[in-house]
Amino acid sequence: MNWTRRQALWAGGGVGAAALLAACGGGKDDTASSSADSAGGTPRKGGTLRIGALGRGSATTRDPHGVQGNESDYLIIALVYDTLTAPGLKDNTVGRLASGWKSSDDLKTWRFTIAKGATFHDGSPVTADDVVWSLRRLRNTPAGAGRLPGIKAENITADGKDTVVLVSDDANADLPLLTRLSTFVLKKDTSDKEIAKAPGTGPFKLDWFRGGNARLLRNDKWHGGPVHLDAIEVTMFESPQAMANALLGGQIDVASNVGAVAARTAASRKDIQVTRRPNDMAMPIVMRTAEGPFADPKVREAMKLVVDREAMVKQVLSGYGTVANDILGTGDPAYAKDVPQRRRDLDKVKKLLEEADFDFSKTYELVTTEDIAGLAESATLFATQAREAGIKIKVVKQESGAFYEKTWLKGDFYTNYWGTNDSVVFFASKTMVTGAGQNEAGWSEKQFDDTYRKVIGTADKKARATSLRELQQIEHEKSGYLLWGMADGIDLAAAKVRNLPKLPGYGRVQLENVWLSR
Amino acid sequence: MSEAEIARAEAATDRVAASAPRRAVSLAARAGVVLAKRAALLCALLAVVFAAIELLPGDAASAAADRGESAADTAARRHLLGLDRPLWERFGDWMTALPTGDLGTSAGGERVTDLLSAPLPNTLLLGGAAFALTLVSALALGCWAAARPGGPVDRVIGFASTVTLALPEFVVSVGLLLLLSLWTGWLPAATMTTADGSPASWTMLIMPVLALAVPQIGWNARIVRGALADQAAAPHVIAAHLDGLAPRRVLLRHALPGAWPAVATGAATSTGMLLGGAVVVETLFNYPGLGTVLAGSVADRDTPVIAGVVACTGAVISLVLLGADLVRARTLGARP
Repeated sequence: MNWTRRQALWAGGGVGAAALLAACGGGKDDTASSSADSAGGTPRKGGTLRIGALGRGSATTRDPHGVQGNESDYLIIALVYDTLTAPGLKDNTVGRLASGWKSSDDLKTWRFTIAKGATFHDGSPVTADDVVWSLRRLRNTPAGAGRLPGIKAENITADGKDTVVLVSDDANADLPLLTRLSTFVLKKDTSDKEIAKAPGTGPFKLDWFRGGNARLLRNDKWHGGPVHLDAIEVTMFESPQAMANALLGGQIDVASNVGAVAARTAASRKDIQVTRRPNDMAMPIVMRTAEGPFADPKVREAMKLVVDREAMVKQVLSGYGTVANDILGTGDPAYAKDVPQRRRDLDKVKKLLEEADFDFSKTYELVTTEDIAGLAESATLFATQAREAGIKIKVVKQESGAFYEKTWLKGDFYTNYWGTNDSVVFFASKTMVTGAGQNEAGWSEKQFDDTYRKVIGTADKKARATSLRELQQIEHEKSGYLLWGMADGIDLAAAKVRNLPKLPGYGRVQLENVWLSR
Repeated sequence: MSEAEIARAEAATDRVAASAPRRAVSLAARAGVVLAKRAALLCALLAVVFAAIELLPGDAASAAADRGESAADTAARRHLLGLDRPLWERFGDWMTALPTGDLGTSAGGERVTDLLSAPLPNTLLLGGAAFALTLVSALALGCWAAARPGGPVDRVIGFASTVTLALPEFVVSVGLLLLLSLWTGWLPAATMTTADGSPASWTMLIMPVLALAVPQIGWNARIVRGALADQAAAPHVIAAHLDGLAPRRVLLRHALPGAWPAVATGAATSTGMLLGGAVVVETLFNYPGLGTVLAGSVADRDTPVIAGVVACTGAVISLVLLGADLVRARTLGARP
């Protein structure tokens, strides 16, 4: 289990829209996963939902703009406070505190309108000044440049009582996407001392918080519509196993993001629902393109062809996942599903490696961590598969701190993971464009850079879609990423829980539509 | 008794009477010295902790960083957390604030005292209950075994205690969870808390206490049994036997008092084991204590939190060791 840097990618990306890809999920539990909302009926008002979420006592935080290492803290904050926009099912960005937004023709200036009737829990209305103050506060934290990329604090301004204007340094057609995960709005001039008790605008009000656990009460006046549950009790769990035990024993109703192992344990229990949220986690193998043994594109292509993707999904993810095609951002509605799926082809691997003059006598080190379940296993299984083509790979496990200090962004060959997978452009901007801050493979490809600039600078939807398709084709062919599959996010729930969110990543915190049947 | 002998005895009594206040003073001085030594030891321990965290790869600023954060942003965070200052300076600041009850700020921006205020009492409750159970059970089992040396009870207890002392806490925990919770449903598997941060029901304490105590009971039962065996060979115990006193009376009134120093030392060392085992046991039962806080803070290189936990647990262990020393001093002092 891991957190913070390892955990989340607020950084502009976001969570979201996986609906289109759910179709290729093809797992055995599809029926179980859909039962959560299909077995519906009319929502019933009332009841207390007891939910477990992962978190660690040492890392708890109350600041909506602070370091959010704990899923439990984020869940509580996201229910009490509203972000401007939120992840959605059909569009990957939907309104939350903002009811709508519009860009200028150059895609630099974006105007957000605050939802009508939005009030804080103490009754006072939300004004543009509150939003501006909150967004500037967020921008001025150490993480702010990553959470609101390309937007300077002074370029966040109010226009009248209900319009907020954000001006981006560069054209950015995806700007509303950046405001989905961390733009929590507080009252203007809330002091740091009052943060823990500051009223929010969200669907639930804080009743109490203690040591990572909390109780929340329904906000009857939420601007987003009626909320069904009377209350939500959040319990923080350090280990997914303890959380699964609590669910199996009936102590909690939902075990949030509990993982494949627990899902397997619970599969035999008819009274437990398994919710699978596709495209939750990417676990790519990164190959350094700048120099070293993988600098030759032919070697990289050989590695992408040597992996048996179906076997990886089946064994590493216990089948709770989908095969991927070396393009990051699989949950994007614009994800290029028509790029032919790469499959294992050992003859071609041999040919490519011979052409590239690959040194078969050497043993290559693949560095991995145990930061998330399955990561180290994926490295081991890949090494075994590569051996079948005569490639010798030794898996080296590093402790998380050592990995980020010594290997990440520097190593020739390592595994990593990303938790926000619904935007192709996000990955392009963060990890693949020349000079990007997290360019993990040290990739620099002029054709890719040019196409990327075309994508973010084009307002016309059709022209943009064409460029975006081209961008993904280049990424598929040349990048340093071997993305063999996508892990599902997995929640377990008691039979009475209805309408749980199906979104990957942090979309799972949207509990305002959940209700309990009798 | 001759007159000379009486005179000598009287003189001795006078000496004792005259030295009584002086002895009280020297006892207080000795206690002060011992306390000061323990405090110095704790300070040294904290210095080692600060240095050790520094030696680990990565720091709190990088562990708390978002993926989207640039090196400059992480450097800003490092500055905000004061990690760009030299180690001795941070240690000095933390130590000088300690007497005022200020344990610093976590990497997540929370006051460490707030982070520890709920877990500390919970862990003391858990550890205290496990300690009490360990002591009572170990004494009972040890005495029972020693009542008939070499008998069937002695052999069974000897074997069982050897087995249990070798069992790691997590094995006991998993066994208990399966047996008492998942299969039978008798006890709640996880600890839920109320608004004040304490366990919602006392039944949630049963399994964590057992998981912590079982290995320690094994260890301490053997110590009690061994100390009683030593005492059984002591002249005054043999004499009591030969005087025809009941075996139970000999065991409890003559052998056990002499065994106290060994028992107290064994129990005191168990305190450290109990608090160490809490890291594992608390995680498995989701018990909201210091162990879970410690595990997370080490992973995050969150030095103030780690030092806060070490200071609290170190103080507790020091106090218990001091208690054990007092028991030893009392017992051995009474019988030079």
